[in-house]
Amino acid sequence: MADFIKNPVVDLLDRNPEPVFSGKDLSFSKDEKAQIMKWVSSYPSKEGAVMHGLWLAQEKFGFLPPEVIQLVADEIGMPYADTYGVATFYTQYFKEKKGDYVLDVCTCFSCQLCGGYDILHYLEDKLGIHKGETTADGMFTIQEAECLGACGSAPMLQVTNGPYVNHLTPEKIDALVDALRDGKMPEFESVTLPQDEDELGGNRRTDVSLTPTYGVCPVSETLS
Amino acid sequence: METQSKAGDWRAFKRVLMPPVKDLHKLEVYEEHEGYAALREVLTTDKWDPTSVTNEMKKSGLKGRGGAGFPTGLKWSFMPPVDPDIPRFLCCNGDESEPGTFKDRQLMEYNPHLVLEGMLIAAYAMSIKTAFLYIRGEFADWITLMEGELEKAYAKGYVGQDIMGSGFSCEIVIHKGAGAYICGEESSLMESLEGKRAYPRIKPPFPAQKGVWGYPTTINNVESLACAPLIIRNGGDWYAGIGAEAHPGPVLYGISGHVNRPGVYEYPTGMLITDLIYEVAGGMRGGKKLKALIPGGSSTPILRADMIEGLTMDANSLRDAGSMMGTSGMLIMDEDTDIVAWLRRITHFYHHESCGQCTPCREGTGWLENIVTRIDEGEGNFRDLDLLLDLCTQMEGRTVCALADAAAWPVRYTIDRFRDEFEARCRPSLIPSGGVLENA
Repeated sequence: MADFIKNPVVDLLDRNPEPVFSGKDLSFSKDEKAQIMKWVSSYPSKEGAVMHGLWLAQEKFGFLPPEVIQLVADEIGMPYADTYGVATFYTQYFKEKKGDYVLDVCTCFSCQLCGGYDILHYLEDKLGIHKGETTADGMFTIQEAECLGACGSAPMLQVTNGPYVNHLTPEKIDALVDALRDGKMPEFESVTLPQDEDELGGNRRTDVSLTPTYGVCPVSETLS
Repeated sequence: METQSKAGDWRAFKRVLMPPVKDLHKLEVYEEHEGYAALREVLTTDKWDPTSVTNEMKKSGLKGRGGAGFPTGLKWSFMPPVDPDIPRFLCCNGDESEPGTFKDRQLMEYNPHLVLEGMLIAAYAMSIKTAFLYIRGEFADWITLMEGELEKAYAKGYVGQDIMGSGFSCEIVIHKGAGAYICGEESSLMESLEGKRAYPRIKPPFPAQKGVWGYPTTINNVESLACAPLIIRNGGDWYAGIGAEAHPGPVLYGISGHVNRPGVYEYPTGMLITDLIYEVAGGMRGGKKLKALIPGGSSTPILRADMIEGLTMDANSLRDAGSMMGTSGMLIMDEDTDIVAWLRRITHFYHHESCGQCTPCREGTGWLENIVTRIDEGEGNFRDLDLLLDLCTQMEGRTVCALADAAAWPVRYTIDRFRDEFEARCRPSLIPSGGVLENA
């Protein structure tokens, strides 16, 4: 047998890992089941609800091992293989256990030219891990993300598929990591439109507390 | 060269997609500023029926803002005649994952009800009873905001059954993506909605004939749909009179990169690129010189600084200059930019985001990345440049969707327009002709 068949060049997911959840832990509550049924009813076919269902499962269990995917499949009533196919297609579904906080640092080209890799390397040095790895205490995972659609406020990162943190500097990273260690998620940052700054004197929203404005992007030191 | 601008007196332009109103995202504020007035007019007066709404959209000359620039009114008119037994669907494409583009997110944050109103007008024009708003999963905070505002619109009777007592009903469902660039492509967006892997479909059949769940479907970008209430309120002629003649309307320019004031700006189409960089966006960072820019997202061909003199931001002008309007997400690069490293990052992006359905794209994007990486690290040969161009030819137009083309164009045009920088990075071995060896 050729070598590459025994040792595939690509790291494939372990399709049958030891189950992490079992018994009573591995179930949806009554409210969650009702929510899934509501989603199922809003699409012409039940399969439409699968992405909502997987999101719900990921929020509850933290990641999606096969037994959780099976649970979602059973709840919606679609085959496991199809559900597994969806879960593995999209990057935001975690198929393996991650840290408590997943830091997705955007390095796509707008961020790259404005210091995205500087931020990534600073974060790697600070936490002592490489991208794709999790710290020993299981608190942080660093990932390199593709364009997150916040090019005007580069460099930026996203915390666990949630809030965006814009205009990153090493100081801001330090403060963010300290806050996360205390269990404090960053607040929603509304980015002020430059035209609003001229015409309204600041952010147009009065219901958000943090309102940083577009600033000058930093100069990048490294590009890869 | 002020006279060449097609945007008229753009300094006096009053924003309409995101007018300067505090808290416009709140329903009560939106109502005070003509909110849902266009929908009310369409639903309750005799002036409008589905055909006249579509005709007004055609008259406006609105070209889709999602990248391809297809006329929106024309797209609406492709829907087959109404058959009460066959459901029809509208999808609003808020996937916005083209690198360099960040306008739809801002529109959804600052004027969400304009988007919802536009969806409802589009639904009325095509007799659609269910509309999906697909938003990429990374925009979790903005999805929460949209869901909250949608709930308020439901409570006020703007969405749902028998809207404003007119007998017209339309439900809006917000669908959260989960991180896949390919979902911005219309047919893979439909696959994603159906709860499958987002593999693009072969066209034809086009979505208007056989779309989501096999039923007639229309898919429009967030910004395109947000223009519909404005066109109804002010008339198609008003819209057609803004900006460049062949590509009219207000447009959201997302300017990022090495400028002093990056951000989303609303101005008419046909703005001079030099105006956008040096006046609107506050000039180049640190007073540096401009080296290059991409006018509309990562897959639009790059333009050198010497190519933009007198060039305006509209489809025809950019096409003549050898580029495209795309999503009008502009990336500005100053003289210190390393073009090879930049291209390496783009090829990495497309390699990562290729869905893997078609071989030329799945393998081709990988090889593009490998070869550009080799050149960037100083290990490349001159013949690698031709190999890259050859690869691009093998990818373009040979796949189900346009991702392979989108991946190949940046490589082709960047090498074409910055060949000297690539050659300078290559190892001077295997040189095809003499003369260059002296530099070794």
